[in-house]
Amino acid sequence: MAASIAPECNEVKEKYDTCFLKWYSEKYLRGNTKSTDCDELFAKYKTCLQKSLKEKGLDTMLDEARKSGSETDAEFLKKS
Amino acid sequence: MKVFSSICTFDYSWDEVSTANWRKYCPWNDKATHVVGVDTISRVIDSKTGILRTERLITCNQSVPQWVLSLFGGSATSHVYEVSYVDPAAKKVTMCSTNLTWSNVLNVRETVVYQPSTISPSTSTQFEQEAKITALCGGWQKIKNKVEEASVERFRENAKRGREGFETVLEMSRRVFGEQRDLENIRLQS
Repeated sequence: MAASIAPECNEVKEKYDTCFLKWYSEKYLRGNTKSTDCDELFAKYKTCLQKSLKEKGLDTMLDEARKSGSETDAEFLKKS
Repeated sequence: MKVFSSICTFDYSWDEVSTANWRKYCPWNDKATHVVGVDTISRVIDSKTGILRTERLITCNQSVPQWVLSLFGGSATSHVYEVSYVDPAAKKVTMCSTNLTWSNVLNVRETVVYQPSTISPSTSTQFEQEAKITALCGGWQKIKNKVEEASVERFRENAKRGREGFETVLEMSRRVFGEQRDLENIRLQS
């Protein structure tokens, strides 16, 4: 799996990515969209990452991109 | 604005492709060494549709010519924001990405779609890619055109490398999944 932009988060990211991939292929793609196997790991990874994004000034950059990207939600977050 | 688009087919099922897609930029992909970081920022399942929405931050170390750096400033590290949507019922992955770095000079919007191919939907997957590139720097149209053309050319080269790299990831994923299955079968039998 690819590394994190924040080296201090790599360990927890690796654990989360492995968990996610297993959940995705074994549960999600088989119709089990309700399970929350990796939520705890993701919360830990996110806490670690947020700190680094803030330090690098990337949090504000992301917020702006998110605003201008909201139209894709309207297009792709519906039943096709 | 210039548009770059390409279509190709991978000889793997949509399930395999959509799973391997999450590790497209892993160390197995020796054609994507410029990608130095892939971070998941948010991930939710839409309760109404079951669509998985993911936001990622992709960090690259591009080999940028020195004159570009001195002209526009900044560093060789660039960031891309990607939102993706997986619709497991329709078997469709859509990924939309946009550049965060140099966004005041150049706007690159890429949309990638993975769907089962029409010819053999259970064993092969179609990949469609479209990028809209717009130079924003004020001034001469001629310069804007040059910047856009150079970017499209860059995209074309990267698309080819991207395809080759992803083929390797798909092959490795199939092998590793196969080995895991074998191990589990042995464990079950003993």
